[in-house]
Amino acid sequence: MAEPIIRAEGLSKTFLSKERKKGEKKRKKEVHALKSVDLEVLDGEVFGLLGPNGAGKTTLIKILTTLLLPTGGSAWVNGYSITKEEDEVRASIGCMLMGDRGLYWKLTGRENLDYFGALYHVPRPDRAKQIEHLIALLKLDDFIDRTVETYSSGQRMIVAFAKSLVNDAPILFLDEPTVTMDVPTARELRRIVKDLNDHGKTILYTTHLMHEAEELCDRVAIIDHGEIIALGTPRELKDSLGHEDVVSLEGIFPDATVSRLRAVPGVLEVAVSAEDDGRSKLDVMVENSRAMLPRIIEAVTGQGSTVEEIRPKEITLEDVFVAKTGRTLAVDTRVVGEKAVRGRGG
Amino acid sequence: MSRGFGLGRPGPRASAGVVWAVFRARLKIITRYKGAVFLESIIPVIFAGLPILLGAAVAGGEQNAANNFFAYTGTTGRTAADFRLYMLMGSNTFMVVTLMLWLIGYWVRREQETGTLEALYLTPAKRFHVLAGVTSYTFIRALIAFLVATVLGALLFNVNPLEGNFLAAVAYLVLGIPALWGISFFFGALVMRIKEANSVIQLLQWVLAFAMGVYFPVTVFPFLLRVVAMGFPPTLMNDAIRSTLLGIASIYGPWYVVLGLMLIAAWLVPLLGYEFFGWTERRVKRDQGVGQF
Amino acid sequence: MARKTLLEYSRYPVAFGALFAQIFLIILLFVLTTVAFAGGDQRTISRFAGAMGYGFVVNIILSFTLWEIGFSIREEQVRGTLESLYLSPANKFSNLVSRIFAVLSITVLMCLGGLAVVSAVAGGLPVNNVGLGLLALLLTTSGFLGLGFVFAGITIKLKETAQILVNGLQFFFMIFCAMFYPFLALPSFVVDDISRWIPISYCVDLFRQTLLGQQPELGVSYAVEWVIVLAFGIVSPLVGYWIYHRIERKARTDGTLGEY
Repeated sequence: MAEPIIRAEGLSKTFLSKERKKGEKKRKKEVHALKSVDLEVLDGEVFGLLGPNGAGKTTLIKILTTLLLPTGGSAWVNGYSITKEEDEVRASIGCMLMGDRGLYWKLTGRENLDYFGALYHVPRPDRAKQIEHLIALLKLDDFIDRTVETYSSGQRMIVAFAKSLVNDAPILFLDEPTVTMDVPTARELRRIVKDLNDHGKTILYTTHLMHEAEELCDRVAIIDHGEIIALGTPRELKDSLGHEDVVSLEGIFPDATVSRLRAVPGVLEVAVSAEDDGRSKLDVMVENSRAMLPRIIEAVTGQGSTVEEIRPKEITLEDVFVAKTGRTLAVDTRVVGEKAVRGRGG
Repeated sequence: MSRGFGLGRPGPRASAGVVWAVFRARLKIITRYKGAVFLESIIPVIFAGLPILLGAAVAGGEQNAANNFFAYTGTTGRTAADFRLYMLMGSNTFMVVTLMLWLIGYWVRREQETGTLEALYLTPAKRFHVLAGVTSYTFIRALIAFLVATVLGALLFNVNPLEGNFLAAVAYLVLGIPALWGISFFFGALVMRIKEANSVIQLLQWVLAFAMGVYFPVTVFPFLLRVVAMGFPPTLMNDAIRSTLLGIASIYGPWYVVLGLMLIAAWLVPLLGYEFFGWTERRVKRDQGVGQF
Repeated sequence: MARKTLLEYSRYPVAFGALFAQIFLIILLFVLTTVAFAGGDQRTISRFAGAMGYGFVVNIILSFTLWEIGFSIREEQVRGTLESLYLSPANKFSNLVSRIFAVLSITVLMCLGGLAVVSAVAGGLPVNNVGLGLLALLLTTSGFLGLGFVFAGITIKLKETAQILVNGLQFFFMIFCAMFYPFLALPSFVVDDISRWIPISYCVDLFRQTLLGQQPELGVSYAVEWVIVLAFGIVSPLVGYWIYHRIERKARTDGTLGEY
């Protein structure tokens, strides 16, 4: 069995921020970005960290990569303490942060890679070879010798990704690496990530896109409000919902529809995604979609509702998130009802 | 346990490699900003020209200006050429001080703004080696700016710095630079913590211009202000360069006193500055992380 | 937008204070230098300190206009908010001008404070024809707006290089428009072949000599100087804004508005 190569015990982080309300004095407010997180990432696995914006994913990454000191708890990366052996931790990792801007604009992509390679203490002959290898791997030839200021945002992200690989470290931290990439580039990056993992790299991959987590990750931790609320393989997490199904409805629904649905016996949770044109999508979690379908239809029809589409859906990690939190991973989702606890696993 | 290329504890060769990489990268970057380096050789000449022109207008001629100036400030200069050289050297030294403040003191903020500071802190390169690269680069840039400005100023104002002990003056410049690094580390640390870094550095450069006597010796200040001003390493450096080149008495006393003070400042000030920088850096990492600004 | 600019300033009190302190230090530096050259002649000190002080006021306004309009465009580019600004229906002209109105009030305070320092150190400042002096300054400021618009356009086009260019231009004006000394300090060929061809020279001279109660230094009469400054004050903002508008349109056509 593989050993843990990243380990966190009781890791917490509290920020103090200033709150400024009109007519009131500035106040200091405590923000608990991480709350006693325990985590183990096994050597050679792709470990996913899934959660909405503001869940604490980036804070956790920054602590594990020594950019930020924790308020409490401990962590070890590649066997080195993040607080006492920082240099060894940094030498063990490659990292690409969210929206990575860590390139010098007046240097070419190649010069940037060479510069950071030197800062990672990569010996010069190995550095040159590694850079050529990365240029071939990521197909950077067309623009690698132009200054970064001339790059598109996608090109910058790819070179930032190359930068995370320049020291060929055994552990890779990728914080939402595909966030500004177009679909083909993102797909290619995920293929390369899988390939790197096949060659033995351990990868900690954060994302708020559940299809990425399902596609890439051996195990996934779902994080929300600074806490890990579920952990397991994608299959285990989906199975943890028991025999629950999701019935998805699209159409125009008055506000009262949601509370009516919740009142229907057998409905476990409801999540709403609002569209700009007044239409909504409702994900209704039930124990048995076939049995519940007539009751759901009865609850939503009439009262000014217009149902355009209704279909049962396969359980996804997003549904697991909904089950645990009552919200979806999408940014524009309205919180519906209370946080779900209702006797489900995870 | 680490596999891959990089090492957490590298040998001296890899450390030297870091210094060289930082130095080379900064040099490459500045040469790609058209006109920047040229401007910093022109600016001291312009700054020297302002009081020269003003003085000539006020006193009704350069020699009168020189006579009034040297009489008022209690310095023992003689000719109009001495007066012009006095202003030129003051401006050139001020340029060197300004460069240090902006290139080192503001370095952290600039890296934050461009988003490269976190990338830098993610590497195992020691802060000391990275700063060594940055300071080496500023040393070369400051030296070039000083020498080019001196040549341009000498041609424009018709003065000959080689008539004085020019080599000794340059030696004082070189000896004074480490203390400037120290001051810049100190302010670089403050810049990490405050939002309005740009304004503070701008204010600071003028405080230093005033305190180091860019246009007149600090002996014209009231006693308390004079003592404080004389405690600034840039004041010491400026006075050492000017007095050596012009053959006038230093406000600090004989040459060996000046040399002794500069030697002490050359190791003490950078040491204190670096310690303060490290302490502030640790606090920033605890609070918000280094990427925030 | 003026309120936004003022609100931004109020959230940076250190920057605000530092700006004031900086101005005072620069003025103090030059006034003390003037005192050193004057050989104790109080009338001379007062006169030249006045020339330096009033010229400095023009320099400050030029600086603020250039940087507040042009540099703020640069800051918006770097922050990535320029495109958002352009997406809003707010008029681009008012966007540019509102920045300077907000800052002008601060600039006026700084100038008054600066002149107070000069007066204190130099033992008094000649002050004549205040109304006419203020009118000359108003026209000068209007003319500087045009330069600010051009700088804003250049910034959109050249990005960082624009700052270096404008720095150089500021020093050019500082020397050849005699902002820190009377024109008689410059060699006559410099005045004839360079200074007289720059409208800003007449702005500086008119404002300064009006307040000092002296004859113009550039070899033309007061009437001619008023005509030049009036023309500068009216034509410059129109031409400047037209140039800015053309560059901005080109940037939108090329898709480079958001690039920094």
